[in-house]
Amino acid sequence: MMKLVGIVGTNATQSTNRQLLQYMQRHFADQAGLEICEIVDLPAFNEPEQHVAPAAVQTLSDAISAADGVIFATPEYDHSIPAALKSAIEWLSYTTRPLINKPVMIVGASNGSLGTSRAQAHLRQILEAPELKALVMPNVEYLLGHSLQAFDANGDLVDADKRHELDQAFNEFVAFVGLTEKLTPTETFFEQSRQFSWSQITNGEDL
Amino acid sequence: MKKLVGIVGTNARHSYNRQLLTFMQRHFQDQAEIEILELTDVPLFNESTDGSDSPVIQNFNQKITAADGVIIATPEHNHSLPSALKSILEWLSFKLHPLDGKPVMIVGASYSVQGSSRAQLHLRQVLDAPGVNASVMPGSEFLLGRAQAAFDEQGNLKVSGTVDFLDSCFAKFLKFVDVIGELNVPDAISYQPGTYAVHATGHNGEIPMSVTLSKDRIENIQIDTSTETAGISDVAFERIPKAIIDGQTLAVDAISGASMTSHGVIDGVATAVKEAGANPDDLKKRRGGTTAAQPEAPVQTLDTDVVIVGAGGAGLTAAAKVLQSGQRALVLEKFPSVGGNTVRAGGPMNAADPDWQNQFAAIPGEKHTLKALAELDPQTIDPEYRADFETLRGQINDYLNQTTGQPGYLFDSKLLHRIQTYLGGKRTDLNGHKIYGQYDLVKELTDHALDSVKWLESIGVQFDQSQVTMPVGAIWRRGHKPMGDLGFAYIKALQPYVESHGGTIMTETAVQRLTTADGRITGLIAEGPAHQRIEVTAKAVILASGGFAANVKMLQKYNTYWTAIDDDIQTTNSPAMTGDGIELGTRVGADLVGMGFSQMMPVSDPDTGELFTGLQVPPQNYVMVNQQGKRFVNEYGSRDELTQAAIDNGSLFYLIADDEIKKTAYNTSQEKIDQQVAAGTLFRANTLADLAKQIKVDPAVLTATIKAYNSYVDAGEDPEFHKNAFDLKVQVAPFYATPRKPATHHTMGGLKIDTGAHVLNAGGQVINGLYAAGEVAGGIHAGNRLGGNSLADIFTFGRIAAASAVADECAVETE
Ligand SMILES: Cc1cc2nc3c(=O)[nH]c(=O)nc-3n(C[C@H](O)[C@H](O)[C@H](O)COP(=O)(O)OP(=O)(O)OC[C@H]3O[C@@H](n4cnc5c(N)ncnc54)[C@H](O)[C@@H]3O)c2cc1C
Ligand SMILES: Cc1cc2nc3c(=O)[nH]c(=O)nc-3n(C[C@H](O)[C@H](O)[C@H](O)COP(=O)(O)O)c2cc1C
Repeated sequence: MMKLVGIVGTNATQSTNRQLLQYMQRHFADQAGLEICEIVDLPAFNEPEQHVAPAAVQTLSDAISAADGVIFATPEYDHSIPAALKSAIEWLSYTTRPLINKPVMIVGASNGSLGTSRAQAHLRQILEAPELKALVMPNVEYLLGHSLQAFDANGDLVDADKRHELDQAFNEFVAFVGLTEKLTPTETFFEQSRQFSWSQITNGEDL
Repeated sequence: MKKLVGIVGTNARHSYNRQLLTFMQRHFQDQAEIEILELTDVPLFNESTDGSDSPVIQNFNQKITAADGVIIATPEHNHSLPSALKSILEWLSFKLHPLDGKPVMIVGASYSVQGSSRAQLHLRQVLDAPGVNASVMPGSEFLLGRAQAAFDEQGNLKVSGTVDFLDSCFAKFLKFVDVIGELNVPDAISYQPGTYAVHATGHNGEIPMSVTLSKDRIENIQIDTSTETAGISDVAFERIPKAIIDGQTLAVDAISGASMTSHGVIDGVATAVKEAGANPDDLKKRRGGTTAAQPEAPVQTLDTDVVIVGAGGAGLTAAAKVLQSGQRALVLEKFPSVGGNTVRAGGPMNAADPDWQNQFAAIPGEKHTLKALAELDPQTIDPEYRADFETLRGQINDYLNQTTGQPGYLFDSKLLHRIQTYLGGKRTDLNGHKIYGQYDLVKELTDHALDSVKWLESIGVQFDQSQVTMPVGAIWRRGHKPMGDLGFAYIKALQPYVESHGGTIMTETAVQRLTTADGRITGLIAEGPAHQRIEVTAKAVILASGGFAANVKMLQKYNTYWTAIDDDIQTTNSPAMTGDGIELGTRVGADLVGMGFSQMMPVSDPDTGELFTGLQVPPQNYVMVNQQGKRFVNEYGSRDELTQAAIDNGSLFYLIADDEIKKTAYNTSQEKIDQQVAAGTLFRANTLADLAKQIKVDPAVLTATIKAYNSYVDAGEDPEFHKNAFDLKVQVAPFYATPRKPATHHTMGGLKIDTGAHVLNAGGQVINGLYAAGEVAGGIHAGNRLGGNSLADIFTFGRIAAASAVADECAVETE
């Protein structure tokens, strides 16, 4: 069965994005195994001299490497992704770079009516940066607005349309993961992406 | 000259953005004073652990508020702004909003040629978000690409064209600051003079407030607090009106620990201002001088004999007792008001006082209880308590023989109090671990509780001699109830006693660390109201900082009793109860005892934890249904039975009542009921089916549940859950549903102490100079605290801690 990792994009104790991933984990259990990863225990990124992943970052990175695809569930803080999620991504890009060529789906839940559209757009741009090079699924965006009212007592999505929309988005992602498997880039692509450094480009072309 | 703040947008050790700002600081020194702020110590933003009050965030808040404008120098990380910069902006958009309306200039340096263009774009969008709401200067993107080659050895920009462009951007920014400054000047405010009747928010609902306005001033604010629980939020009602009038502004900071009432006052005054034809937003922009940058606070050092952490019941008692023995006492309290949880208590304290109790007649059932107790198999009593149990059995049998055939008088003895405390606290946790109160501590408590009542009387607490009360969950009538004001009655006497006998109480001073030298405690370090560091040296420290029922993470961490504690569980406690004393103690090696056991109040408001919302009726009239509309428990059960049943049913449940049951509610009025129905916190409908729809349960299920319940009332028997006592049926419209959830109420575990209130380490040895009293200490109540026993505990061990501290540490001086 397909192995996926779901990353809870916040360090808050209460999160409807966590709820959303938990729902997906249960709801799609017969299609894929979804492991939920938390970022709360990761230290704050501070650009240390050594490009070495702290233990918690390594654990997250290993989970991502072992997965067929990654789902990010992000809240929106001040029109962008939370600092905590940004910090986790910086660690990954600065140390192990497990997201290179990894299929990614972005979902987001928020209490307002817009449902994280701006944060998702930022996240997309971030994940496409040269030191991340994730394969973010195009054309699909799953936004869950008014998320505090979105779940019932059992943690299921209340609204039938929203359930249906998620089913569809998830099916597309499953297909997308299948598609990207066929698209195996050369070893040099991985090597170059792993070696990429912003300081090396000063004389070369601009990215 | 203009004052600007420059923020280095990274926490990295080496940064070209820092270099750029440093260059700007030097290069523009004749035009503006730029202070550079670093992100190094800013913690990663976390919604769940608010750091808005921490010195680092407050420093940013104050400096930015005082500045005319802000320059942000951002690197680009992964095509966006660095997490460290995002983090400070999140802190500054959460509880504090210093960037609101503030002119901001963005610059950025990075390795690549386009510099930090994508990061700058994201940063612009972030600064534009409503929580931040900065006024970002449009256009004039200053991007420094290829930063590693841009500076010379003196740290100056090499290329003169780049400097020229920076000059023109900066000149434009200085103009921009002026323009924005003008925009922010509020219009002259004029009111329709008069006195306006509005509302403030109290702890028990809305309370009347009147605001008097002259043509151009807020003259007077009067708040009627007669319906409030005495002692809980007086500070907000005193200080907020004063701050509003002094500054003629609505931009006043809420008082920590009283934020709901603080905002209630501010919103009420805003309503009056609006009714008087002015725009409250203008008053919110008017800074009343309160936020001007404060000078670096100096360190304050103090010396005393005994320093006490926490000005609740135990702490003030210890202070009074220290003063009575001729020593100096200093009490540090982290909240603006004193009293802690003690002011929330229902009031009665347990102490066996047979001479007094014997004057009252026994009531039905009491003899039966005694008989059942005397008939217990002594083998079921733990060995330490067995001898006491045998003696008690003799006392009970004498009493029963003496009073056969008569109703008899109210019996009590120290031994009955002791054995009931022991039996009441005996529990087994989820791991099969059995716990009961430590014998020597329980003996100390029950032997000296009455002395505590007498001592309290001597310092001015008056008790109601005309009745013996039984606090909820107490098992026996031995409650000494102070006259008026519930738990506040104790604090009302203790606080003035301490202050008038030479003691010092410092509020808004949170103790952060104990200091040690040569294996003993030498004092402590605290943070004062202006975030200044306060260092206290003392001969002894008494921890009296209360429990940790308001700290969900800590409850979850230690819990071994409940199958689950929800992240969003509410508490009946003051928010100050975060277990600080336990942390202070363990950091110097203190041992803990019984930490896994906490007490819940099953019938609390799901949103606030308050007990007195909705319809609170006597338990014989409780009809509890779960989220499926079904009954799930014997409503007459003990607190922990009801709590565990609620947890097993998803925590949220409803108390169903009809119009007749409503009349038995002891907490409310028709006006409050209507208010709560309108606010959606209480449900009312003319049929059960409609009520069911409102609380989202199947109408057929709820109707069937109530029909069955009514038939049990008729039959006098509940075959389903065996409810012990019934009174009314649910049959007269309108019907009500009060949402309820268990809330955390008391923490029995805590620091390990001996009978002298000395704090012990893991080896069972005394930590020299350290004492603990009250809810911060463990070992007495074990698995379940009896109602009324906590007050007995805090006043008894508060006195013991003081006596030990004085005897151990201050003896030389007194001789
Ligand atoms: C709603 C309610 C009803 C209750 N009813 C009863 C009852 O009827 N009978 C009964 O016996 N018990 C009752 N209790 C329990 C009882 O009130 C408490 O257990 C008792 O008051 C605890 O007293 P204390 O002196 O140990 O702590 P508290 O009175 O809570 O005082 C602790 C003080 O320490 C301060 N503090 C905490 N950390 C720091 C720090 N780092 N630095 C400085 N100061 C700090 C706090 O702000 C607080 O003021 C009730 C409790 C509640 C919440
Ligand atoms: C995690 C990380 C991500 C980065 N992403 C980008 C980027 O998206 N675009 C870019 O131009 N430089 C990027 N850089 C390189 C920065 O431009 C470079 O570190 C520069 O020195 C940042 O400025 P500073 O010296 O103030 O830290 C990145 C650096 C780090 C550490």
